[in-house]
Amino acid sequence: MELAMAMMLLALAILTLGSVGSFKYRQLGFYAAIVALIIGLTACRSFYYGAFIFAIGIINLVSLIGIKSEIEGVDYGLVGLMALATMYIANTSDFALVLAALVLVSVPTYILVMIREGGANVEVGIKYITFMVFATVLFLIGAIILAYTKNSFDGVLYILGYVMLILGLSLEVGVAPLHEWVPDVFTSADPIPVSIIASLAKIVPFIAALWILIYTANSITASITIFTAVLAAISMFTGNIGALTSKEHARVLAYSTVANMGYVLACVVVVPVVVVIEHGLTIIKPEFIYLALAGGLLMLFANAAGKIGFFNAIKGEGAYSPLMYILAFSFIGVPPLMGFWGKLFILLSLVEVGYIWLVALVVINSAISIPYYVRLASELSIDWKANLTNFIAVAVVLITLVTVAFLPVNWFLEGMEVLAHTMGIAI
Amino acid sequence: MIDDWIIFLLLFLAPVVSSIPIALAYKSKGWTEKLPYLSVFGIFVSVLMSLYIFFVFPENQQYAYDWIPDLGINIVLITDYLSRYMGVITAVIAFFIAIYGLDYMRGDYRPSWYWFFFNLFTASMLLVVYSDNLFLLFVGWEGLGAASWGLIGHWFRDDDEIAYVGVPKRKVGPLELSWPPSFGGWRAISTIRFGDVPMFFAIAAIWVFTGNLNISEINWESLFLNIGAAGTVILLTLFLMGLLTKSAQVPFSEWLMTAMTGPTTVSALLHSATMVAAGAFVFIKISWYIKPWELHHVPGLNYVYLFALFIGLISGLYGALAASGMLERKVLLAASTMSSLGLMFGAAAASYWIHEEVMPGINLALLVAFWYMAVHAFAKASLFLVSGHLIHATHTRFSVGALEFGKRMKPAFITTIIATTFLIGMPPLTAYWVKSGMDEVMEHLIHPIGFLPLILLILTSLVYAAILAKFLSLNFIKGEKPHHEHLEGGGLMKLGYGLMVSMLFVLIYLIFTRTETAGFVHAGFMPTSFAVGMSILVAYLIAIYKPRMTSFAKLGTFFNDRMYLPFVNDYIFPKTGFFVSHLVQDYGNRGIDGFFNTKVMPGLFERISKGIRTIQTGYLKTYVQIVLGLVMIFLIIAAIGGMRI
Repeated sequence: MELAMAMMLLALAILTLGSVGSFKYRQLGFYAAIVALIIGLTACRSFYYGAFIFAIGIINLVSLIGIKSEIEGVDYGLVGLMALATMYIANTSDFALVLAALVLVSVPTYILVMIREGGANVEVGIKYITFMVFATVLFLIGAIILAYTKNSFDGVLYILGYVMLILGLSLEVGVAPLHEWVPDVFTSADPIPVSIIASLAKIVPFIAALWILIYTANSITASITIFTAVLAAISMFTGNIGALTSKEHARVLAYSTVANMGYVLACVVVVPVVVVIEHGLTIIKPEFIYLALAGGLLMLFANAAGKIGFFNAIKGEGAYSPLMYILAFSFIGVPPLMGFWGKLFILLSLVEVGYIWLVALVVINSAISIPYYVRLASELSIDWKANLTNFIAVAVVLITLVTVAFLPVNWFLEGMEVLAHTMGIAI
Repeated sequence: MIDDWIIFLLLFLAPVVSSIPIALAYKSKGWTEKLPYLSVFGIFVSVLMSLYIFFVFPENQQYAYDWIPDLGINIVLITDYLSRYMGVITAVIAFFIAIYGLDYMRGDYRPSWYWFFFNLFTASMLLVVYSDNLFLLFVGWEGLGAASWGLIGHWFRDDDEIAYVGVPKRKVGPLELSWPPSFGGWRAISTIRFGDVPMFFAIAAIWVFTGNLNISEINWESLFLNIGAAGTVILLTLFLMGLLTKSAQVPFSEWLMTAMTGPTTVSALLHSATMVAAGAFVFIKISWYIKPWELHHVPGLNYVYLFALFIGLISGLYGALAASGMLERKVLLAASTMSSLGLMFGAAAASYWIHEEVMPGINLALLVAFWYMAVHAFAKASLFLVSGHLIHATHTRFSVGALEFGKRMKPAFITTIIATTFLIGMPPLTAYWVKSGMDEVMEHLIHPIGFLPLILLILTSLVYAAILAKFLSLNFIKGEKPHHEHLEGGGLMKLGYGLMVSMLFVLIYLIFTRTETAGFVHAGFMPTSFAVGMSILVAYLIAIYKPRMTSFAKLGTFFNDRMYLPFVNDYIFPKTGFFVSHLVQDYGNRGIDGFFNTKVMPGLFERISKGIRTIQTGYLKTYVQIVLGLVMIFLIIAAIGGMRI
């Protein structure tokens, strides 16, 4: 057994022990999760990717301190598990393990979503779990059908599998028009668990989908990507228009998630260009996958940082003004903040595949989004106070500013090469 | 190579950097009184650098540094014949004017603004002069435009009548022929922009067709043959639009007249070595490398040069005639500058028909145009500086001053005598030799074109001599007695124009000692040239004796009104513009804005947002129905679509 795998298992073991021990000493779960994440990070083959997940995971963990739940202790373990699975998906090139990572990230959220001070939020739980189960089933069936067509090709089956996978993904992360659960869950659940669902939980489904689609791509993939592109466009408009006409902060953020997932979904249309089938051989053009991966991931990281910051500000009834504005500008895509690079790389990859209309729509949507992000930032702005909310806000702003500190962000693009390589989808 | 770049950097940046402190200290009266010396020092550094380049740098050396090589946009400088001389001329003139400005601008209400733009003006012109790359040249070109706007409109408050142009409240038809400084600045930038945009497109087109933007490297011949006769005419006409507007040739001359609303130092710099000279300079420079005299087989090129020749000569005569009716000191000089620029354009354009190379690579016509530019620069700058001093001394912008006054203003009087006589082309003073060269050039055109160019040149020269004589006479000899005299001080002003006018002696020395200008001296000894020179002298003397002819008063007013050309600028153009904008507003805009932006888009937006919100009923049952329904629909469509593929 290789070392990285052993480290991951060690991390899992520590996490489990910590969670068990937390029934006696609650703090144990927190520290065990942190130790597990550190071990997980050392086992990560792609350092940049791992470091971002590590940072997001730690911030999620810290934010949980502010909420006294009935399962305190175990909740740290669940977040730790999600972060580890997210790190691990970048280490594996095994189909089954990719699907396992998806389930490992998805299932803990079923419990997290119900966390509330003094009790469990069952109503939200039911709503959320219903759709998540449906989403996971669709995703898995789609993935398995696609894997089947790789071995014995069938056009109709491939397209059905593709559509199922994309629909599963859409339902899981909240892409319109399958986003109905998002505004409800985001507004009625506690902001802290929502911030975890809106950040850490979004990354794996996309990587898994991209991985499976590239792994199973064939000559008819190019003719079906239009489906994904249309969904992405619908999601952007639904999310942005919804956010623009909503008042409640959590609801605005819910729609903003719908819009952001639309941007990230747009990367998926790059797949057929990445993979060119010539004489029965799969030829991969790595430069496009790096762009798409870098764009999608930076967008997801920027989204995660922003959502954590804003939801924590909602929980803490406001945060320090400049921090809120930096997060808002990152969402809008003001250079050189992280959100800008995410959008830029997505746009560049779309240009490569010739989806110019989608590029135009992304740009228009970025413009539409400006008013509500600025409004959100201004309404959540308060003076400086030394509290947990502001501590978390500073931490997420630091993540957002990583791309500013290390310009230009070629290092991230080059990091994608390592990531793609370990995932077995590059030459 | 590193050292060479340091020289160039100092040359371009010293004026700009040295004027930043005063720009920043605009609020402190104490500092803004002292810091102008630093700004002048910055220009002095440029003078030293230009001299260093002149004497030490190898001739025709290109200095290149990549900027945006993918678009041919690079920092490419060249030390060819033209830039070496013109660089020194520009820096020296700017330096003398700056010294003068220390006195002239003392007590002004915004010295920071003035010095910053003055130095930017100088630096921009130096960039234009040394650039080999068309884009880099265009950067300097736009710097000139921006700085000229700042300087012409320097007295933006319009609160002092002495800065106006035209007689206050004088109306002709619907138009008031009087212009304040703020309007002058606006008119300058708007006219220039009218030419800059086509010029920019021409530069872009040159890049598209040749893949190179370096003037000395572009294969002009293959470019012109490639784009054909129509292409050549369109391309060069677009390019010329920039040059003709900058050099205030007809019909774009109006801005130059109202540019006289700026401080006199600005007028002096504007009229000698920068701005208007830039247009003629760039025309000489590109003709230098196009070598039109070798391209007679290129279709279309002859039309362009014929066009430039006549625009130049007609502007020359127009400017001189307009000046003959003028009494405002600076506007008279402005019109005469336009006339001189016309002659430069005309002479440079004549290069098409002149095969004579005085030295390898140096065409006689271009050399004549360039040397005339040099002589004109120093002489005209001197005259402007004098008129600035006169305006200070007499508190009026109209020509006044009798002999008695002239005696009390001796340095100014003497400077004016030297500058006018050296400039009009009377034997044997500086301009005579250059003008003789010009006569010879126009004589060459008799065979291919006819007598018209020569006649226009001689007519212009005669009127030109008369107007400068009139300037001298009305200000120092035969003018009215000034109502107000303020003769104290002005030491630095006298130093400024004294130094300036002395350069004319340096130039005559150069003409007699340089090998390439030997042709001018030779032409000066031709009988025809001598005859022309003597007629010029006669015209000059007559005009001194009789500077105003009351019997021609009506004609004079017509000329003073610039033959009603202001109507084009201030009436026809704006009216056309308003008409178009009304059309756009009433029909286009109301349609687009009224229908699309206030009906269609908001309606659509409202519907979508209502739809998005009504889905969120909060009931799980509804959501499940929607999601399941959609998933089923998508899968059915996918299955049907999949079977068809």
